Amino acid sequence: MIEVTNLEKSFGSVTVLKNLNFTIEKGEVFGVVGHSGAGKSTLLRCFNALEGYQGGSIKVMGKEVAALGREGIKTLRRDMGMIFQNFNLMARKNVFDNVAFPLEVWHTPAQERKRRVLELLDLVGLTDKAYQRVQNLSGGQKQRVGIARALALSPSILLCDEATSALDPRTTITILELLENIRKSLDLTIIMVTHQMEVVKRMCNRILLLDGGECQGLGQTEAFFLAPTPNVKTLIEDEFTLIPGGTNIRMWFPREISQNSVITRMARALDVDFAIVGGKLERYVDDVRGFLIINVDDEHLEKVLNYLQEKKLFWEVMDDAS
Amino acid sequence: MPANSNTFMAALQAVQASYLAIRDDLFQALWETVYMVSASTVFSLVFGFLLAVVMITTGPHGLRPNARVYRSIDMAVNLLRSLPFIILIIAIMPLTRLVMGTGIGTTATIMPLTIAAAPFAARLIEGSFLEVDKGVVEAARSFGASRWQTIFMVMLPEAMPALVLNIAVLAITLLGYSAMAGTVGGGGLGDLAYRLGYNRFQTDVTIWCILLLIVLVQVIQSTGNFLYKRLR
Repeated sequence: MIEVTNLEKSFGSVTVLKNLNFTIEKGEVFGVVGHSGAGKSTLLRCFNALEGYQGGSIKVMGKEVAALGREGIKTLRRDMGMIFQNFNLMARKNVFDNVAFPLEVWHTPAQERKRRVLELLDLVGLTDKAYQRVQNLSGGQKQRVGIARALALSPSILLCDEATSALDPRTTITILELLENIRKSLDLTIIMVTHQMEVVKRMCNRILLLDGGECQGLGQTEAFFLAPTPNVKTLIEDEFTLIPGGTNIRMWFPREISQNSVITRMARALDVDFAIVGGKLERYVDDVRGFLIINVDDEHLEKVLNYLQEKKLFWEVMDDAS
Repeated sequence: MPANSNTFMAALQAVQASYLAIRDDLFQALWETVYMVSASTVFSLVFGFLLAVVMITTGPHGLRPNARVYRSIDMAVNLLRSLPFIILIIAIMPLTRLVMGTGIGTTATIMPLTIAAAPFAARLIEGSFLEVDKGVVEAARSFGASRWQTIFMVMLPEAMPALVLNIAVLAITLLGYSAMAGTVGGGGLGDLAYRLGYNRFQTDVTIWCILLLIVLVQVIQSTGNFLYKRLR
């Protein structure tokens, strides 16, 4: 769907994207993750030619973006809907007119336009708000309008620029659910720029980790969180206060293991007591995964490590700094 | 208190007499002022809008940045705005004669008024456009809107409330300028106040003119505020 090779982008003398190589497959949810200022949003804007690039290539559905003329760019943008962190709706217009806007731009006849807008509002659940001004809507409702507008031209790719960053956690979930549903029903490819790990875990099949415009990692979301490299760790890790003394061990739970009660089983097998210091269970796309941090007395450490080794579990000894 | 009431009545009669004496002149002047101000407001808005569209498009963060074009217009606008209006009227007299057929009279003043106010209008309109949320403009572009569509379907409607307030500012400024139109026989309230009120020591005429000007300014500003509230 999208093929990026050796991409370079700079603003004047400042390089913002460097040597990026990846492909995005049809139907997947691809996450672009990083701190603010990492170049995520700029990368997203290169896909629909809102930003140009200086080196390398971006091919969207086989076509080189930089080589497109004015009409080519228009067509490219029709095929890529975009939603934004701040919704970017026309404040003085009502919901209907906002959703109808892309259709007006493309000269859709009024009757067809009305039919399409009502269909879209039904899809995002805002039929009853059609003639309200967007100013009076809540954040979640505004983003629904944004989504309806982005889908108006039946794009095959949806670009999400921090689409849930301005929303509270509960609204974020409803928006993500909506995105997931429309992805399935409309067979969309979604590219999500975000710094919210909950969003990544819940939505993205694969992610690209950006820092300072460079790729710090690329791969399946699951792999990122189950075996994070140091770079990834600084970005995704939650902080836990660890008990001093003893040794802290972090154990990761992929699907197969989380269904066996591994901790209690180990305690019985070794006849060792240990404290559970912290942990987290989370939803990754469709599964529940998690980790647990246990604190083991030094005298039992070797036994425990041997056990973990033997059972081929994912674990690591945490240093005090983390 | 008969004495007081008599003085009051006498004052009232004096006011009435003064009003009757200059009523025709006053309304003639009022009409000239309204005519000059409204025509020049409309014309300067048209030219100002064209200039503003070019500035918005070619500006540093515009839809199609072009530093050379932007800087030329920017400089021309600043230059025209720094000329004192009274000098401008006289300086462009030949041009006025060429375009309007005559260099003097109420209609002739519309030309210098427009030329003086168009750069100002351009700045005001540019300012209103720059206030439009960049994100909304970006969204429009992301759906494939052309530059014209972005300007006329997004920026103009979004800028409308600010624009309306700025048009009121523009009209009031032109009302001030129009007082100088007497120099080329343009007439108007300012001219009347100057000719009769100041030169011939008819202070009551000056006061009538000022009162009417106050009312005009109030009407323009209130209309602007009212529309602004409606449009927001």
